[in-house]
Amino acid sequence: MSAPLPDLLTAPGAVKAAPARKKAHGKASTLRIWLPLGFLVLLAAACFIWPQIYPVPKPVGGSILEAGLPPLSPGHILGTDPNGNDVLSRILYGGQVSFEVGFSVTVIGLVIGGLLGMAAGYWRGPADAVISRMLDVLIAFPALVLALAIAEGLGPSELHVIWALAIFSIPATGRIARSNTLAIREQDFMLAARLSGTRGHQAIIRHVIPNILPQLMTFALLGFGIVIILEGALSFLGLGIPLPEPSWGSMIAQGQQVLSATPEQALIPSAFLFATVVSLNVLGDALRERWGVR
Amino acid sequence: MNRVNSVSSGPLLEVEDLTVSFPGRRGELRAVNGVSYSLYPQQTLAIVGESGSGKTVSCRALMGLLPQAAVVTGSARFVGAELLGLTDDQMRRHRGTNLAMVFQDPSRSLNPTMKVGNQIAEAVRVHRDVTKAQAREQAVELLRLVHIPVPGRRFHEYPHQLSGGMRQRIMIAIALACRPKLLIADEATTALDVTTQAQIMDLLLELRAELGMTLMLISHDLGLARSCADEVIVMYAGQIVEQAPTPQLFTRVRMPYTEALFEAIPQLERPAHSPLPVIGGRPPDLSALPAGCSFAPRCRRAADDCRTAAPPLAEHEPGHRWACWHPCGNGDPN
Amino acid sequence: MAVATETSAGTTLAHKVLGSPTLRLAGRRLLAAIPVLWGVTLLTYLVMNLLPGDTAQVLLGANATPAQVHQLEIRLHLNEPFWVRYGGWLAATLHGNLGTSLASGENVTTILGQRLPVTAELLIYALVGSVVLAVLLAVLAARRPNGIADRFSVVISMTGLSVAPYVLAVVLVYLFAVRLQWFPAIGYTSLTASPLQNIRSLTLPAIAIGFPLFAVYTRLLRADIVEQMQREDYIVTARAKGVPHWHILIRHALPNSMFGLITLVALNLGVLIGAVAIIEPIFSLPGVGAILVSSINNHDVPIVEGVVLVFAVVVVVAALAADLLYAVLDPRIRL
Repeated sequence: MSAPLPDLLTAPGAVKAAPARKKAHGKASTLRIWLPLGFLVLLAAACFIWPQIYPVPKPVGGSILEAGLPPLSPGHILGTDPNGNDVLSRILYGGQVSFEVGFSVTVIGLVIGGLLGMAAGYWRGPADAVISRMLDVLIAFPALVLALAIAEGLGPSELHVIWALAIFSIPATGRIARSNTLAIREQDFMLAARLSGTRGHQAIIRHVIPNILPQLMTFALLGFGIVIILEGALSFLGLGIPLPEPSWGSMIAQGQQVLSATPEQALIPSAFLFATVVSLNVLGDALRERWGVR
Repeated sequence: MNRVNSVSSGPLLEVEDLTVSFPGRRGELRAVNGVSYSLYPQQTLAIVGESGSGKTVSCRALMGLLPQAAVVTGSARFVGAELLGLTDDQMRRHRGTNLAMVFQDPSRSLNPTMKVGNQIAEAVRVHRDVTKAQAREQAVELLRLVHIPVPGRRFHEYPHQLSGGMRQRIMIAIALACRPKLLIADEATTALDVTTQAQIMDLLLELRAELGMTLMLISHDLGLARSCADEVIVMYAGQIVEQAPTPQLFTRVRMPYTEALFEAIPQLERPAHSPLPVIGGRPPDLSALPAGCSFAPRCRRAADDCRTAAPPLAEHEPGHRWACWHPCGNGDPN
Repeated sequence: MAVATETSAGTTLAHKVLGSPTLRLAGRRLLAAIPVLWGVTLLTYLVMNLLPGDTAQVLLGANATPAQVHQLEIRLHLNEPFWVRYGGWLAATLHGNLGTSLASGENVTTILGQRLPVTAELLIYALVGSVVLAVLLAVLAARRPNGIADRFSVVISMTGLSVAPYVLAVVLVYLFAVRLQWFPAIGYTSLTASPLQNIRSLTLPAIAIGFPLFAVYTRLLRADIVEQMQREDYIVTARAKGVPHWHILIRHALPNSMFGLITLVALNLGVLIGAVAIIEPIFSLPGVGAILVSSINNHDVPIVEGVVLVFAVVVVVAALAADLLYAVLDPRIRL
């Protein structure tokens, strides 16, 4: 049976769809993948590499005499904050923090959560029961309370923020990994592998991982954005990156104090935060469409 | 045939060179390829073919129920009024009032969260200016018409509470709500068990007689066509390959494809455990139809001329059309 | 012709729901929720008590003498072992006594009683607004997939998903409070004092919380509706009947698409505690979120436990309500 026909009949097009533009129809257009990806790469490069190769004013230790300069002042393209620090420099270094935290937490979640989830999903039985319960409890727990408590208890620092957020990345990723592994496990080729004597960990490495990788990757991209937002939230509350170290979140909090006088103090870091997360979300979404993940 | 008894002498439905194609990744996919036929009032026509023969697509084209992407050309005139190329609003005036359709899977074709009675009443209220109470009365009447017992109570039930046969009766009641002139039953009994199939077919024929309707039966089941239809059209790869009044088709079959279909029907007379004859090969790829007769790759009577030139559909005998260079029963060997 | 459209005599909807398997399911859910609630409170207590730093010291400040600290410790029972303290709290709670705040000495129940209505009103405002707007936009978008409304809805959804509540709050305050001065930047007026001012003071916070929710709901609902319209056979039947497009969208596809949305709303309620904790301080709203952060800072365990407990209960009740709502809306479940 020529394959497309039954599909065409089950999509009776009850909805009069506007004529789909050739570029965007069906698979995600390449623009939606490369544009955000390009932006992210550029931004990351700017944050990490620019300060190394081009002299940028230090993000801390500014003199109070230079406080609150507006953007486009000489020597300070984006102006200075209430403490006299150069805003552009703080944006770049703050960006470093966002990327570092986001990356670390996401990777930790992928590795630990992924392994736990796959183990639970593949071997099932008592291991699954234990792991699933643990994951469920962590997910049910009011996330913010725990994160705040950890950050508060350990003291604000980038490392502690990573730990605190990893506590949520692990169960979230674990749950995705587990449910996808469960789905894969029931498919015929897995049964064939088991029958032909493939040992558990071999089966996981050779079969499960390649098949759930697209789902995990897109989930990780979307999670990256969430982690950046959460780090910003912690810093916003004063429990994340300790002042005077720069972080987009604390910059927004500081900017909030002077919102009427110098709104750009809050709006500039907000714009960067938003642009970064939007890019991650658009990219994650486009990849999800491209790779056919539900 | 009931042509002689028809009130109006002209055809109810005239389809001319109907073509439906879909854009596909490997090129255009021709689901229906130049189909022409006429349907007369109060006739029962069966359109028979395998999956992919185009029988369902051609009927959905008549009702305007194809996806937006479908390209439909040709003409289909219903009592003179052109059905193809209408806007959705224009087509809505025909749906339910002139033509109606009963679908294959009643378990999925009814809204699961709406009372069945309301779904029938909706069909009434869309076309007739009646109050809710009047529509409900008519719905109960329709339930009675399709022989559903205790119609007053059944009105308030939901599809999942009814059996498959009952659901199909509801579908028929919905289709008949505004007394359409033409009822198309698209594999209406395929999803039902054999006993229920017979009951539903009996109901359809009874209603056809009672309401003076014209009935178009779409099916892959030749046996059904034989017992219920006046005239049969056989389709393959989007084209009509044979058309004849029922008795003529079954006694003097011409197309090798039709003949092969006969042989594939299980018969009680066959010796036990003998393998069922199947038609070898696979259905054609509709986006890459072969030159020549589309059945040639699977036909046991195929000759070279079959593969180079497609035989035209022509009325070689009165009332009997076929498209074949080497039809059966023509003195050819085999 | 007289027609007897009999309904099963005397059976109301409520009767059907309550007498159904749904109630048993709800009962089981309730039972299963109890250990979860207990686990949550235990975990909270554990974490709060593992925080380094002396609670008494924190409360009294750096200038306190060791003697004063020691006295406070005894008064607050802080020198007793963990299990004794937790057990005491649990026992008191089961009797309806949530204890007193370590910081202010006030009754926790009183504090919660004052602050809860504020948070509740804020959340209801945000939720109702986001659901209603989501339904409107999703239906508009689903009417013509890839049309203008649809592409607009995609942009809005993407924006809402990517914006952090605190970022949105700051931007909203700048635009609408500082520049346009339509709404107050901070402060809260109670409903009884002035309904208009009450709404005004809660609008910006509600948008800050509700906009991301609206984005998620719209995306899901639109996808569900389009899926119904394009993949379901009963939609074809409706078209074959001659039912107009809008009618099919609203009376057939939408009701059958609501289930996913209900689940999503119920599941998301737990996350709102975080949003509330950040938004309320920004707008100086006297709700439970506002004291949550400061209580964690103060190691004020009874308050934190109280707030966490309330939210956990809300989440459980919401899940139950969702189940019951399913039964009401979906005849396949209740019959």
